[in-house]
Order: sequence, then C-alpha cells, then structure tokens
Amino acid sequence: MSDLSFAAPWLLGALALLPVLFFLLRLTPPSPRRQEFPGLRLLLALKSSETTPARTPWWLLLLRLAVAALAIIGLAGPIRNAPRVAAGGGQALVVLDNGWAAAHDWPRRVQAVRDWLARDFAPSAPATLLLTAPTPDGAPPQPGPRMRVRDLLARLGVLAPMPWPVDRKAAATALATAPAGARVLYVSDGLATPADPAFRAALARFGNITELAGASPPLLLRPVRAGPDRLHVRVSAPAPAAPVMLRAESGTGQVLAATRLVFAGRRAAEADLVLPAATRNRLALLRIAGRQSAGSVLLLDEGARRRPVGLLAQGSGANERLTGQLFYLRAALAGSTQLRGGTLPAMLKQGVALLFLADEPIGDPAERAALMRWVRGGGVLVRFAGPNLAAEPMPDDLLPVRLVGGDRTLDGAMSWTRPAALAPFPPHSIFAGLAVPNDVRVRRQVLAEPGDAPGHPGRQDWATLTDGTPLVTAAPMGAGWLVLFHVTANADWSNLPLSGLFPAMLHRLVALSAGLRVPNSRLALAPRLVLDGMGQLAAPGPAARGLASAAFASTVAGPTHPAGLYGPPDETRAFNLGAALPPLAPMAPLAGARLAGFDLTSHPVAYGPWLLAAALALLAFDLLLSLRLRGLRLAAISLTVGLVLLPGLPARAQAIPAMPSLATHLAYVITGDASVDATTLSGLKALSAFVNARTAATLSSPVGLDPGHDDMSFYPLIYWPILPDAPVPDGATIARLDDYMQNGGILLLDTRDADAPDPAADDALRAIGTALSLPALMPLTTAHVLTHTFYLLRRWPGRFAGGTVWVARDAERDNDGVSPVILGADDWAGEWAAAPADEAENNQGAGSQAEMSLRFGVNLVMYALTGNYKADQVHVPELLRRLGEAPPGAPSPIPPQPGAEPAGPPP
Amino acid sequence: MSEAPDPLAAGALGGSLPPLLIAAERVAATVAQGVHGRRRVGTGENFWQFRPFVTGDPTARIDWRRSGRSDQLFLRETEWEAAQTLALWCQADAAMAWRSADTLPTKAGRAGLLLLALASLALRGGERVRLLDRDNANAAGITAGGGALPRLATALAHAGPGLPQALPPAFAQVVLFGDWLDDLGGITTLLGKLSALPARGLVVQVLDPAEVALPYAGRVRFVLPGAPLEATIGRVEALRDAYQARLAEQQNRLSALCANAGFRLLVHHTDAPATPTLLALHEALSGPA
Repeated sequence: MSDLSFAAPWLLGALALLPVLFFLLRLTPPSPRRQEFPGLRLLLALKSSETTPARTPWWLLLLRLAVAALAIIGLAGPIRNAPRVAAGGGQALVVLDNGWAAAHDWPRRVQAVRDWLARDFAPSAPATLLLTAPTPDGAPPQPGPRMRVRDLLARLGVLAPMPWPVDRKAAATALATAPAGARVLYVSDGLATPADPAFRAALARFGNITELAGASPPLLLRPVRAGPDRLHVRVSAPAPAAPVMLRAESGTGQVLAATRLVFAGRRAAEADLVLPAATRNRLALLRIAGRQSAGSVLLLDEGARRRPVGLLAQGSGANERLTGQLFYLRAALAGSTQLRGGTLPAMLKQGVALLFLADEPIGDPAERAALMRWVRGGGVLVRFAGPNLAAEPMPDDLLPVRLVGGDRTLDGAMSWTRPAALAPFPPHSIFAGLAVPNDVRVRRQVLAEPGDAPGHPGRQDWATLTDGTPLVTAAPMGAGWLVLFHVTANADWSNLPLSGLFPAMLHRLVALSAGLRVPNSRLALAPRLVLDGMGQLAAPGPAARGLASAAFASTVAGPTHPAGLYGPPDETRAFNLGAALPPLAPMAPLAGARLAGFDLTSHPVAYGPWLLAAALALLAFDLLLSLRLRGLRLAAISLTVGLVLLPGLPARAQAIPAMPSLATHLAYVITGDASVDATTLSGLKALSAFVNARTAATLSSPVGLDPGHDDMSFYPLIYWPILPDAPVPDGATIARLDDYMQNGGILLLDTRDADAPDPAADDALRAIGTALSLPALMPLTTAHVLTHTFYLLRRWPGRFAGGTVWVARDAERDNDGVSPVILGADDWAGEWAAAPADEAENNQGAGSQAEMSLRFGVNLVMYALTGNYKADQVHVPELLRRLGEAPPGAPSPIPPQPGAEPAGPPP
Repeated sequence: MSEAPDPLAAGALGGSLPPLLIAAERVAATVAQGVHGRRRVGTGENFWQFRPFVTGDPTARIDWRRSGRSDQLFLRETEWEAAQTLALWCQADAAMAWRSADTLPTKAGRAGLLLLALASLALRGGERVRLLDRDNANAAGITAGGGALPRLATALAHAGPGLPQALPPAFAQVVLFGDWLDDLGGITTLLGKLSALPARGLVVQVLDPAEVALPYAGRVRFVLPGAPLEATIGRVEALRDAYQARLAEQQNRLSALCANAGFRLLVHHTDAPATPTLLALHEALSGPA
C-alpha cells in the first residue's frame, strides 16, 4: 500500500466538512411515518409529553457520515501503483531466459520486462538485452547492441522463445562484456543448470539486480512407454503444478484421446493413455492442452505406431472372394493396418509386426530359423489350422501347443454332436471384454494335447468352446508370441470369420504386437520438421544438422539438433526435448537480487469506483432504513432490496442468451467434460456458419444447455454427446426432455464411438434411451426425408463414416411424422469442429468427408426447422410417372454419384 | 360511504337465525298491518270474537256457520294486528370508512352488514324497518316486504354524515351503529330525545382492533380521517396504556348514557365474526319471549 496515491488529493479537504454534516444531520430528524387513526381525539385528550422532535438515531448518523466519507475519498481517486513519470537515471540491462521453459508464459514475461523498463527508465535511456539461449544459427548468447529503451521496447515484441535449453555458461561469459553499472532485470525460466554458479558470479558484478520470479513451472513431456493397448505418459516439472489435460493428436490435429495428469504434490505426473488399435496407428503427437512450448509436445515416430501385417497362405486361391484362406483376414485388417504379401523371406526382410499363416507349414529349416528369430525379436506369429495342419500335427515347433493328429468334426454325418459355440473369454485372455455373439458355431477344429508344447512353456488358452476345448491358444516366445487359431481362416470350419467378433479379435492381436521399430543406427538422419519455441512444427533452422538415431537418447536438443522429426518420410524418427534433458530442478533465487513477482510491476489499481460503489450501496441501505422508520409497506422494502441486490446476483456462467427467442440457436447438452463441450460448441459454431453461408436459414451462436434447468423450448435441435460415464438424468429432467420431444424438438444423440464401440457408452446410451420415452426406431436410409431436406445425401459421415443412424419409424402421426430423436455414433460435432474454417465459402470440397458431414448437418438443421416439408420429394419419381411427364425409368432425383446437388431452393 | 353493504351477504348472514319478532309491550303507533295483536277488534288475520249482527252491518261479514247454530245472526271479528317498527341508523363518515389492515373490513362495512342482516331478520318476521336519516326527507321510507332490503341498502349507501334529526314513531325499537369515539354530546342529546318518545333499543359500538390496541410504535404523525386534525407523537408505545384506559372510560360513559335512556350498549370488533353480535342483537330485540 506504499504506492497509494490520489488522483485529486485536494478533494480530501472536503473531509473537514464532515463535522458540520454531523451537526446538520443530528438536528434533522427523520420524518415521522404518517398514520390515519380515528381514535385520534382520544389520544389528543391524553396529556402528550412526547411531541418534541426526535433526534436522528446515532447509527443512522454514523451510516450517513460513512457514506459521505466514502464518497469524498472515492472521488479523490485513490490509485495503487499509479503510473509514475519515470526517473531518467541509469542504463538498463535485461537478461532474459528464452529457452523452452519460458515459452508457456512468454507474453507475460515480455510484458513484465516492458513494465519494468517503462516504470524505471526514461524512453531515451540506454538499454541492452541479453538472451541466454543460443540463437537458431548456433551462435552462443551475446549481449545485444546498446539501444534506447524505446527501441528495446519495440524489439521485445518480435522476440520468440527457443525450443532448447538456455546456455547460462555462455551467458556468464557474455555478461562480462556487458556495460558495468547498469541496473539489471533478470527474468529466469526457473530451471537450474550446472552452470548456475558461474552465471551468478557474473551477475553479482552488477550491484542493482531485480529478479522476476513466481512464474508457473514449465512442464516437460518425457518419452512414452508403449504397452499393448496403452501409452504410459510421464510429465515432469521442477515443482508440483496444477493438473493438466494431455491430448493425443493425429497428424491432422484431430484429438484421438485425452487424459488428465495430476501431480499430487510430486514433480512428475503419470497416466495411461488407452488407445484402441485402430486409432493408435493415426497417432502423431501428444500435447499438453493449452500450453505452447516445445516441452509440452511429444512427437511420436513410427516405432510407436507402425504395425505392418504379413499374410501368407498356400495355393493360388488364397485370395479368392469368400472362399480364400486370406480373404477374411484381408477384409478384417484392411484399412486399419498395412498389409504385406509375398514370400516369407521377403516379408521378414521388409519388416512386419505380425505374420498370419493360414494353414501354412514352414518346411524350410532356414525359413523356420529366420521366423523363430523374428518371433523372439518381438514378432507375433498367428497361425490358422486347416487340412494341412490336421494331417501333420507337429509340422514345426512354431506352435503354442502340441496338436493331436487329425481333426475333430462336430457336425459330420456320422457325428452325434452339434456345432459348438464359443465360451466367454477368460479374464487373462487378450480378448477379454469382447462380446461373444451367440451365433458363432465351430464345426471342425484341431485338438491340442493337454500341457505345453516342447520349448514353449506358458501356454495360454485365449478362447475356448463351451465344452472347454481350446479355440485360440498362445504362448510367449522371446519377446514375441505364437498364436494358433484351431480353425481355418475362412468359413470352412467355422463361421467365426463371418462374425463381427473376428475383426475385433484380430485388432486385439495387432495391438499385442510390439510394432516395428526402425532400428537405431549410427547413420545421421536429416532433420525434416522441427519444433519451434511454441511447440509448432516448422522447417529446420540454418544450424540444424543430421543426427544418428542411436544418439537420440543422449543428445540434448540445441540449435544444431533441435527437437523434431528426423529422417525420410517413411522412416521418420522423432527426437524429443524430453529424451535427454536431466531431471528438472528449480533454480534458487539470486543472492542479493531484489525479488519481484510478475504482476507487481504492472497495472495501476484504482479504488475510487469501488469506494463510490460502496457509498451507493450504503446509501441504498440508508434509504431502506429510512423507509423502515417511516413504516412503509414490506412490499416497498423488498422492492428496494431487490433493486439494490439484483444486479449484483451472479449470472449463470453459461452463455444462455438473454432472449433466446429473438434468434434461432442450435443448442447442445453440457456434458461436464470440458474438452467434449468445447468440441461440441466449436462444431455447432462451424455448422451454424455453414448453414448461414449456404442456406436462407439464419442461425445465431450455439447455446449450451443444462436440460434440468434451462428452458429448451426455444431450440429446434439439441445436440447431446453421450459420454461413457454419462449419468442418467433424474426424473424431472427426463420429463422435460420428453416434453421437449413431444412438442416438436429434435434430440440428436451421439455416442461418438463408431470406430471402436465402447460398451460403457452403449450402456450409458441404453440407460438414457430407456429412461426417455423414445418411439420405435429404424436405421436411416436414403428414403427418409432427412436425406432430402436440403441436400440429397447418400452418406452421412461424421468424424467416422458408416455408422448406423437411427430415426423414428415414420408411422408416428402425432408429430407430423418428424422423428423427435436421431441417434448415431459418428461424432458429427468433432468433424464439424475440424472442418476448415472456409469450408462454407469453398464449394470445391464436394465429396470430402468434412463437406459431406457439414451437408448432413445442414439437412439436420433443415429437418428441425421444416419438418416433413420435403417429404413429398420421396414420391417425385412416382408422381412424374403417373402424370406421364417422364418415361418409365426416368432418372431418380437422387443423382448416381454420392450426394452432390442441392435438392431445390432452400426452404 | 366507500363500501356499500351487500344485501345478499346480509341476507345470508341473517339466514342462520330465526325471523325476528320484536318483543313489544306497546307497538308503535302505526296503522300498518303486522303480527302484534292489539287485543281489540281490528284488521288482522286471527279470530277475535263473534258479535251479534246489528242493523247496518255489512251482510257480507255475517259468519253463516256460526249463525246457523242459533236463531241469531253473528258477525265474525278479527283481532287488530299491527306491526312493530324497527328504526336503524349507522354512522357514516370518513372515520367509519377506515380499517387498520387490508385483511379487515372497514367499520362502516361491518356496521352496514350488521344493520342489513338485522333488517332482513325483522322483515322476515313481518316487522317494519325504517332507516333513520339526517333529515326527514326519508321519513316516509318505512319499508316492509320483499323488496325492502335492497331499498334499505341503497338508502344506507347514500346516507350522509351526522346524527339523525328525524325521529322514529313512538314505541319503535331503535338500533344505532357507530364507533362513538368522538365526544358524547351528540349521542347524549339523541338518546334523550329517543327516550322521551318513548323508544327503546340498542347502541352498537363498532371498533377496529387497532383502535382498541393502539399497535403503533415510534414516531408517528396521526391524522384523523376526513378531518383536518393531526398530531405528531414521539413515542406512541409509551401512550398505549393511557390510551386504552381512556377508551375504557369512554365506553363506561357511553354505557351509563345508554342505561339512562333505556338503551343497551353492545361492543363489536371488526376482527371478530359478525354472527355473535347479530345473535346478541337478535336476542336483545326479541326479548323474553
């Protein structure tokens, strides 16, 4: 408070008038309340001794004096940290840590330097800037040229943090050449380095040092450990930090998964990022949400994601449609993994993570040895049984079990048994958790002898039939696995390959594989894309050199070897800042320096308005008391209280518009998950912009709703992302939602998991769907009016494509046949949010997923706004035929190419 | 008067009591047909006596059934039956139109309700009801019969302030409603005149609860409704006991005044239901049957 000053100090003289006011107020009593009273004559007959005017009560007097004093002081304008006219003396030396650890709050640091310079120096005073990190061209830190403070202030704006650590040793050397006698401001990044003592000594030469401290600690992502279905993530910091969100992003910036990292008082936070196999291959980097720094981005290379699969089968018919041994494997794996074929030696040489052998004995000893080496080195060998294996039970020792000769036929003409079904997967199985369809039947299989195969202890039965005979057996071998399906890979022996379980089992197997790691080599890899100081990928700087992948773990990033992606595109390796940095430790404050916080140097705080507001509030209170004294009605009092207090009540934080009926808004249900809500909001914003650009509808900004409290009747369409842990709303909320649907509203429920159906999300959806009174549903087809309302659509993709969308069966008459609910799993909002911002203007993207997704969104909005207006479009061909306007077989209004043309003028 | 009493409400209130037959030793000197037998021959419905036919009597009055039993002709004579007159008056000024809270009726409203209810009872009993008025303009407004009650209500709603100047017929029963918080000079004179008629009856004092309890506190500027009289009192709560004593004294004086004139005083508070007071009025007027 030592910096307290007044804008108009002479006004304080009015305080001297307060005693006068005191006497005036004391002599003027409050006016009495007026009361009609017929018994007044009786009262008058009494001897009244109480007719002298009353004094103002002392507390009212105090209150009014306080109001007057507050008003006088408030008008005098007390200000803390009033901007001072800078004293001109001295020259300035700014020592600024601009390494990676300063990046996350770089604007604050620059602002602090600005404030310090502006506060303590005249604009024309000489100043020098020393940045302690090496420059991108590899030069060690050098003191900048001497310049005027105003020029330095201008230069501060273009400074950027570097994506590598600071070099305090070189900085200490550079300090020796700095002009002595300068006043020093040191802005530390808070990390200790081995060269700190020398740096301190160099700084101690200057007598007058201010050190800025109190910044939030930098966070550094350490390399991940990859597990079969998860990534183990670690973040370190010099001091315990606030919890952060970690996002796993694909190469195009889509968020594939997110998790929360909590420090819990320690200097590191760890978490597991669970990723289904299908999404893991799209993973490009991990990023700490909301932080811009090279340390908060972890690039992932192909070692963490590439799993090429080799397929091998005998005979030329292996790839035949429906009958070939490899047909179902290809169908199940295509799209999510890279498939390779050819001969075994060629595939091993090319590098595969998994190998599927469909009833293929390995005869050649050399090939067998190579295969065994490959498995021991981390490969997963998956074999399928078949006539060959049944004929020769132990063709080689690359089987997890010993087989009994021959096969077991469960469905033959001479057999009494019936085809066997699958038992639920045991908990130790990698398939545990997959739902077993009850129509899978096994007709023939090879049988395993009890006990382990020679040389492969640790046999596990991953899947068994209901009678207990194993169907999938596995055994570890070195770092790899041997897996045997006791049936064929086609539908000859069982209908397992026909079921949806089969791809899911194969994906689990793919996830089991350690993946294909490009071996570390001593060959230098050229930097291709490097991280800049803000954690964005950019072209490498002039000093960047090649680096051998073998040296990744021991090299500290610097101008010559910045963190980034190295090597050619198909063999890219990621070099990360966190790989070789020593443990982070906080830097001790400089001895003899004046410590200052980042914010203490800034921003005057004016108290005047607050004092005036307090005076007004007290005045209102005084009015209230006076009314009370005069006996005015309770209603008047409560009205006054309401008038005084209402503006002060905290408004709901949500952006519910004050008058939602004045414009049409899309709405979404707030789930409570901040990232999901943010995605939904930006998705709906993008859709609103798209609708505004393409159609005659005018949508205002989207609105987040709590269906339990907010009035939903203003919103034609409510988007509801269903989270796996979404609770079922309470009865009142359900009733409100039912009411909303019954009165023409449309709920769009999205489980956002079409790629990897999450049983928990399905359960949540089922629970919510059961609670709501939903009509009977059917899958959305092109015959439904929803696909005609604006565009003629044949696909309705979101972030995922091909998920089934459910709408009400149109027999319902009570709502004009408009479906009150639309149910899907394609994460439309995610795709809308990710669509390019100028998608609406750029009509060229017809056919792209973002464009089609937004078009579906337009149709949804039009469906919500116009109902069944376009329903007659469905009958146009038939009507035309009956009118004889078009010959039979006229082209349908649905163009043959996937949805392109607008269906007509916008409604 | 701001609030005209509703004859329907009054009729409903009176409906819970039997018709009022005013006990009258001496019926007011009216010629109106009524239910009070005058113990002599006259117009009426009840048989009084047979009397021998005297030449000159109208032959139509010969009671042939009685005459057939003897050789003489007899005339049938009925008793002279007259109605008692109930004279009513209600104070109508701004002080009566006052109430201390919105939930209470005004004093005038309650007094009017009682008055009309009483009138309805008397009318149902076949008596004649008359509203005393400030002047004699309404002196002929003695009413009886079915349409009497609305006429009474209208007259009541248009009554002016001030004590009545017109007097009822002798031996009428008189009921006066008012708050009687002013000086008692006017009522003293009026009661003197009435007792000289002679007429008997009741004085009903209708009071608001606030006039009884004086529930105010602090510094209050009191205003007399409808009069340019006001007074500011510093601490009303200090005067409360003295005021209540003064009110009791006023009531004692009024009661003594009434007793002198052969009247009775009833006190009614507007926060109490009207029925008990109406019952008391009914009992007092019907007397020892």
